Amino acid sequence: MADKKKRRRAATDSDSESDPLQFKSKLKPDSTILQTLKALKSSAATSSAAGKPVALSDLNLPTACREVSDLPLTSVQSSIESVALSLAHSILSGNGFSFSVPSRAAANQLYVPELDRIVLKDKSSARPFANVSSVRKATITTRIIQLIHQLCLKNIHVTKRDLFYTDVKLFQDQSQSDAILDDVSCILGCTRSSLNVVAAEKGVVVGRLIFSDNGDMIDCTKMGIGGKAIPPNIDRVGDMQSDALFILLVEKDAAYMRLAEDRFYNRFPCIIVTAKGQPDVATRLFLRKMKMELKLPVLALVDSDPYGLKILSVYGCGSKNMSYDSANLTTPDIKWLGVRPSDLDKYKIPEQCRLPMTEQDIKTGKDLLEEDFVKKNPGWVEELNLMVKSKQKAEIQALSSFGFQYLTEVYLPLKLQQKDWL
Amino acid sequence: MEIGGSSESPPETKKSKSKTPRKSKDAQLLKQKSPAEFFADNKNIAGFDNPGKCLYTTVRELVENALDSAESISELPVIEITIEEIGRSKFNSMIGLADYERVDAELYDDFETAKAREKRLAKEARLQEIQAKNAALGKKAKAPTSMKSIKSREASYYRVTCKDNGRGMPHDDIPNMFGRVLSGTKYGLKQTRGKFGLGAKMALIWSKMSTGLPIEILSSMKGQNYSSFCRLDIDINKNIPHIHVHEKRENEERWHGAEIQIVIEGNWTTYRSKILHYMRQMAVITPYAQFLFKFLSESPDKNVTVRFARRTDVMPPAPLETKYHPSAVDLLLIKRLIAETSKQNLLQFLQHEFVNVGKSHAERLIGEMGPDFGPKMPVKSLTSQQIVRIHQLFRQAKFDDPSGDCLSPAGEYNLRLGIIKELHPDMVATHSGSAQVFEGHPFIVEAGLSLGGKDVKQGLNIFRFANRIPLLFEQGADVVTRTAVKRINWNSYKINQTQDKIGVFVSIVSTKIPFKGTGKEYIGDDISEISSAVKTAIQQCCVQLKSKIVKRIQAREQQERKRSLNKYIPNATGAIYEILKEMSRSHASKKRRSEDKDAELLKQVSDKIVTEETLREKLAQHVEQVDYEMALEYATQTGVNEEPREDIYIPPLVAEYNFTEFHSPVFVFRLVH
Repeated sequence: MADKKKRRRAATDSDSESDPLQFKSKLKPDSTILQTLKALKSSAATSSAAGKPVALSDLNLPTACREVSDLPLTSVQSSIESVALSLAHSILSGNGFSFSVPSRAAANQLYVPELDRIVLKDKSSARPFANVSSVRKATITTRIIQLIHQLCLKNIHVTKRDLFYTDVKLFQDQSQSDAILDDVSCILGCTRSSLNVVAAEKGVVVGRLIFSDNGDMIDCTKMGIGGKAIPPNIDRVGDMQSDALFILLVEKDAAYMRLAEDRFYNRFPCIIVTAKGQPDVATRLFLRKMKMELKLPVLALVDSDPYGLKILSVYGCGSKNMSYDSANLTTPDIKWLGVRPSDLDKYKIPEQCRLPMTEQDIKTGKDLLEEDFVKKNPGWVEELNLMVKSKQKAEIQALSSFGFQYLTEVYLPLKLQQKDWL
Repeated sequence: MEIGGSSESPPETKKSKSKTPRKSKDAQLLKQKSPAEFFADNKNIAGFDNPGKCLYTTVRELVENALDSAESISELPVIEITIEEIGRSKFNSMIGLADYERVDAELYDDFETAKAREKRLAKEARLQEIQAKNAALGKKAKAPTSMKSIKSREASYYRVTCKDNGRGMPHDDIPNMFGRVLSGTKYGLKQTRGKFGLGAKMALIWSKMSTGLPIEILSSMKGQNYSSFCRLDIDINKNIPHIHVHEKRENEERWHGAEIQIVIEGNWTTYRSKILHYMRQMAVITPYAQFLFKFLSESPDKNVTVRFARRTDVMPPAPLETKYHPSAVDLLLIKRLIAETSKQNLLQFLQHEFVNVGKSHAERLIGEMGPDFGPKMPVKSLTSQQIVRIHQLFRQAKFDDPSGDCLSPAGEYNLRLGIIKELHPDMVATHSGSAQVFEGHPFIVEAGLSLGGKDVKQGLNIFRFANRIPLLFEQGADVVTRTAVKRINWNSYKINQTQDKIGVFVSIVSTKIPFKGTGKEYIGDDISEISSAVKTAIQQCCVQLKSKIVKRIQAREQQERKRSLNKYIPNATGAIYEILKEMSRSHASKKRRSEDKDAELLKQVSDKIVTEETLREKLAQHVEQVDYEMALEYATQTGVNEEPREDIYIPPLVAEYNFTEFHSPVFVFRLVH
């Protein structure tokens, strides 16, 4: 009753006052909704069982592509050593030294529809020491390689920040050492996690999931409202168990908190994950692991703006920066649940909660329309066209205009009941 | 001309000023104002806002008149401006007023009450104490802060004198040229410097308002054996000159030109920099003129003398008077043209009073106007309705754009010289755009761009010119400022917007400059034709400079390459050696996977045959070699490079020769005897 009053207060005119109630009345009992969700789960399970994972090498693509794999520590060490030896030989023979670094520029990226992700083509550029423009990067590269060599010898993990602080004077700025770290992964042909360098924890998970973190069993229903931070290195994670029907991917921390506090996962058994904006490597690895092991459908709740869709694409087909490792980082088959541009009118979100898109937003939106991962899904193209045409965007929080709990009590249940995902 | 007539006008005449408040029935009376009165009331629209600005505007009006006058007879301008400060007692003696001492001190604003005095003394004592303490502690002795001078609200007066070598004025016309507002020689459609055609008249009104002293004019025309002297002021109510002296004087050295002297209230301290900026920018845009600027103060240490020397004797041609473009006229203008025309019928009128209307075109236009019109109908007989129809057609019909032939831009050569002369920049580029059209008026945009130089601050320095006069006020909203700050991507031309000393010079000339605001001090940013022309002109300059900048960066890289490469050697070799050391250690213990070459290297490392020092030396050698090769390559690529040479201008020592001049609107033909 309390929230009904709230809703009434938020509503300005009698018309929109009745609307949220009208939507609520459309809701069927939870058991019916659960039935649809079970159907969704089983179809997801069968489809992932039927569709064998396609490897890049099976496709016979016209261009050669580069992919990295998880390597054990010893092989990382030996490849570093062979690189170091060749460098030393080159120097001793009076030729200076040079790296051949795979290019991670946009021109060297390729979207493969069969895999539904971005992969890196095999173009690479030389990084000679004896050149003013590349001397700095070449030096930093040797230094990073040496530091990683030490990590291999000692068999420990450090964060990217740790790495940066070992030689601040040379690196100057963490973005520089971070970028070179990705280059080193490419040079050595291994994933970033196998370099034993992790990023700080960013993502959180809550809901019907039990897993072991470094041997400790974690029950994500008993982690309070904040949930469990996703461990930065995925090797620690194992033994996943769950009775959830789906995974709910949330863009924003605020929406995640609302769902966690309302214990949404108890009404509809699910696992709720957020990376608080652009996802980091750990969250992407974790989501992929859940999807692969538990065979659950993934539904995404993002803002209705170009960046929401961009975040969705990073989960789905990878970022350009890390495309060399897209095989391990991407989660196929993510459904766009909301908030979609068409929802703005469908759920009669009041004008004052919608924002006009800026020039930059519209440009990003139009650029996205050219991207292959959007084009492959006609529903997404339609939604994006609608967004660009209406020039309006809205955040998940726009739903709070009908009451703070409208998201968990009306919007999401109704969306699930109507199977309104793309 | 009738302006105003509003009820808010002050009492009709100044003489009959009554102390009693205006009675209500007075307000009912219909009053008329003379143009001089109107401008006296609204002097701010002509740039006479406050004493400081008045001084500035007076200087500027006189200088611009002088330039126009000299250019009109194709004489290289030589202009002397003198501002002389006049103290109160001197001023009083000038107007024949005895000096009065203050008797009742409390009557004045700067009177210090006993309480305030106490406070001030206490404060001074405290300050001295602190200073003594600081001195005792051996702290750096700060210069004793000068006591804030007691502010004086007393007006200061200046005598402004401007002398030129121009055309001079006909003896009999002088009174009307100065003593009657809105009468002038510069009316008509052409590119002119003047803002309102008010010129010296406004200065005269201001002098009358502030000092009451008359203006003095000494003028002589070429070939006259006398010079005219005139002392006059203006009767503001009647808008007629009030002549004190008007006489002919000896002119032995056959001088021609004009010397105008006026005494006004002003403020040198606050507008000093503006006036000097103005002179400097004027020198940039008119490098063919010679300016001598003097400020004479009562205390000689404040005197300023600046001389802006001539750098060229190439003068832009005098702008031509042109006819109106059909799309630029309004109803009033058509009526005026009809009233003034000497043509009899409509066809001739259209054909001869407008540009870009030929005979056949005029006939087609008349046919389009409707059955009431015919080519032979007398033009003076047109009714108001018919004129409206003509106006409508002018708006709708298509006409060729007016050409820019009637304009007189400064020219790239002059702009470039001016920039080099006044700023001494490291690099300079100029561009002159082609004529474009806005609302039927042609305009030309020229731009100059300089990097470095003396007296230039870091970042963007914007110099704006409209019809070859500098614009100094309201810079923020101006189209040039906006374009340079917002629409030029300086980075892409290798120019650092905040660090480099960038001079942006944009000169716009037009038969009608679309000024914004009352002061006519800036051109609005909302005219896309002009803003895009400005952008293109600046970009063209940027493109020219970019290649020079890139070359310079390359040269610098050339010099610094070895140093910046060597800087990183210890880091790189240290890292590689560290790995080798670790490897040799484990290699020695485990004896694993030993390829010959690698094993040998590791053995050398563990035996200290190969050390970090070895790697360092080898890498340094390599850098040395690469540097040598690249230096060689650079040298062969660029060859012996020399900066392009600038033409220098050497003023002739003796310019005295006899000649006869034949004038035409576009050139002057000199026959040297």
